[in-house]
Amino acid sequence: MRRLLLLLYVSLPLLFLSGCGASLAADRHDAERLLLIQTLGLDSGEGLYRMSVSSGLGPEDKPALVMSTGSHSIEGAIADLQNLSPENQLFYAHVQYILLGESAAKEAMNDIIRWVDRSPTLRMDTNMLIVKGTAAEAVVGSSEASTDITQRLESLDRQARSTGWTIQTLRDVATALSQGDGALCMAVQTVPAENAVFTEDMQSDAVVPAGYAVLGPEGLVGFLTPEQSLGAALLTRDTTGLLITVAGNTMELLDGSARIEGQFSADGAPEGVTVSCTLRTGVLETSRERELTPDQLDAALSETVAGWVADALRQAQDAKCDFLGLKNAVLRSAGARERWGGGWNELFSTLPVTISVDGRVDRSYDLEEW
Amino acid sequence: MTDERMTRKQFAAAILVSLLSPLLRLLPQASVSLAGRGAYLSALPAIVPLLVLALILESFRRHMRPGEGMGGLLLRWLGPVAGRLVLAAFAGWFLFYGGFILRSGAERLVSTIYPSSGQDLFVAVTIALCLLVAMGTLTAAARTAVLMRGGLIGALVVVLVFSIPNMDPKELVPVGWSDTVPILLGALPMASVGAVAGCFSFLSGYVRPPDDRRWLLGSMTLLLVLGAVICASVVCVFGPKLTATLTYPFFIMIRSISLLNLVPRIEAVVIAAWVGADFLLCTMLLRCAHEAIRTIFRLPPPDDRRRGALRSGRFLLWGEAAVIFGCSLLFDMPPWQMRLWSNRYIPLCSDIVIFGGFSLLWLVTLPRRKKERRGGL
Repeated sequence: MRRLLLLLYVSLPLLFLSGCGASLAADRHDAERLLLIQTLGLDSGEGLYRMSVSSGLGPEDKPALVMSTGSHSIEGAIADLQNLSPENQLFYAHVQYILLGESAAKEAMNDIIRWVDRSPTLRMDTNMLIVKGTAAEAVVGSSEASTDITQRLESLDRQARSTGWTIQTLRDVATALSQGDGALCMAVQTVPAENAVFTEDMQSDAVVPAGYAVLGPEGLVGFLTPEQSLGAALLTRDTTGLLITVAGNTMELLDGSARIEGQFSADGAPEGVTVSCTLRTGVLETSRERELTPDQLDAALSETVAGWVADALRQAQDAKCDFLGLKNAVLRSAGARERWGGGWNELFSTLPVTISVDGRVDRSYDLEEW
Repeated sequence: MTDERMTRKQFAAAILVSLLSPLLRLLPQASVSLAGRGAYLSALPAIVPLLVLALILESFRRHMRPGEGMGGLLLRWLGPVAGRLVLAAFAGWFLFYGGFILRSGAERLVSTIYPSSGQDLFVAVTIALCLLVAMGTLTAAARTAVLMRGGLIGALVVVLVFSIPNMDPKELVPVGWSDTVPILLGALPMASVGAVAGCFSFLSGYVRPPDDRRWLLGSMTLLLVLGAVICASVVCVFGPKLTATLTYPFFIMIRSISLLNLVPRIEAVVIAAWVGADFLLCTMLLRCAHEAIRTIFRLPPPDDRRRGALRSGRFLLWGEAAVIFGCSLLFDMPPWQMRLWSNRYIPLCSDIVIFGGFSLLWLVTLPRRKKERRGGL
């Protein structure tokens, strides 16, 4: 009898486990009704959030479910989306891409980071992209029966990786912004169907990369041009695979790194920053054969890249936003924190920066032997 | 009592698994918010207060009679009135802290996995299971701890290994001499976590001789190493400032892990596994409180041959479990308030009771110890 009572006592909690009773487990999910949201777009403006979602193509090319609605809060928009699709249970645990429209990136960047932090379903390492324009246009406008925004972004992601670019995650951006500096985030823009495709059965807009968006502590600051973005990519990470076009020659970056150091006067006072880049590239395509000797090509590569790097640095100083991570790079060297004191932020916008690029083109023998 | 005595190895496992609960509640956030990127170095200065506490407890343990725990020793040394008052204070703290552990464990589980559910259900189920185990033998609980230790540390290792791709070791530097004070401050939460082990001295009467201290030292060393590694890894993933502002940085880090791109979203399994640590700590606190209260009323120790019997003072366990449940209801508060209690008030109270309480008792009982050492008693 005692054993029976003990068994009943131990079994009692099982009644409360999810799946044993819908009324007791509000988090119970019916797998057949789950609709996995794969791309989530957010816009904001005039006190409203517009959320646009796409579920991705279903099995047997079932068209994606694409919806968009506005509310006074993000959670309110999520609730409204659920009401728009009562036959499905929208599930956000597997979101692959978060798209932020310009307005949301400008006004609500920090709110969105905090929302994802608190969300029990969304992940901080979800890929994030800033849309030039609105995220709703990208999510809704680029979807049709045979494709949707997720498929387009997956393709863009693959292409970006193969050419040395990286799509930042929300964590990357949040980490950089938390340091009080700026952050870089890949930008995309929609291209109207008539400008992008030439088959009549494709009606939706294309989504193409648009360089980097610059985020400051308060939100979106601006966008870098593709060339400035190349300069920024070289400065912010050791990278390979980027495509660089110099004097009609298209090259693949085989190896690239940047060293950033503080300069000090004889009495130890900070004077400026030195940026030294080392590049090794390989020619992939040449259209002006034999115009440049290998030495001239090396010099042209160094000069062109130095210009891009200088442009990116100027943009950072003009915006007073250290999105290139100069501060971290300089202050990491031994004793630098003590020498700079707390004056980095005041000095940053007027800091003299010396740039040197050592570019070398490998596999250029074919230019001589053409 | 000899029927349910644990080996030193099992006792050390029970302590380690129990401390994994406050370890991930406080770390890395509390240490990183004080020490910044050098939080992983805070494990070193944390050794000092923990070593002092260990020496104090060891000096008490040397005077315990066979089968006697901290409760019996204090009652014998401080006399019936002062001894009972001190034991009542300790018992009160154990029950209050048990209530907090229950609620914070439920809050972590609910807020990270079951956001639409209530916490009371989880609290009720956990305290029911704690009561069931506390009614039985401590050996059974300690054997469970040995099994859980492998599982939980294995889960930690898997999480840390699979987080490596997301880590940037540059976040750990620079750390200079100017970080000395923040790093020392960052040691406070780590020491606070380790000090919870002091509660377990009330159960030392249930540990079999010989007095091999290697397991206990090993457990505490492993705890500090884990604390340092957790701080370092989370800082490498999120950077020091974001780590200090995130709600549960370690569990948010787990959310991003995918096992070889085959099994994503493993955080539910890891967070659910951590309920085991909460459960064990709560069970041990329930037994610690029971030991103190049993000693106050001079009741015999529980006898494992009569699990359901209410004699031998076992009926008190029901009341103590009810008090823990009642205390957990006091912590039914908004998340921001819970975080304040979790990171500030509870560690502070714990430090006062454990470090302050035992240090004071050590001073007060100094003449008595000298007398016993001279062979007077």
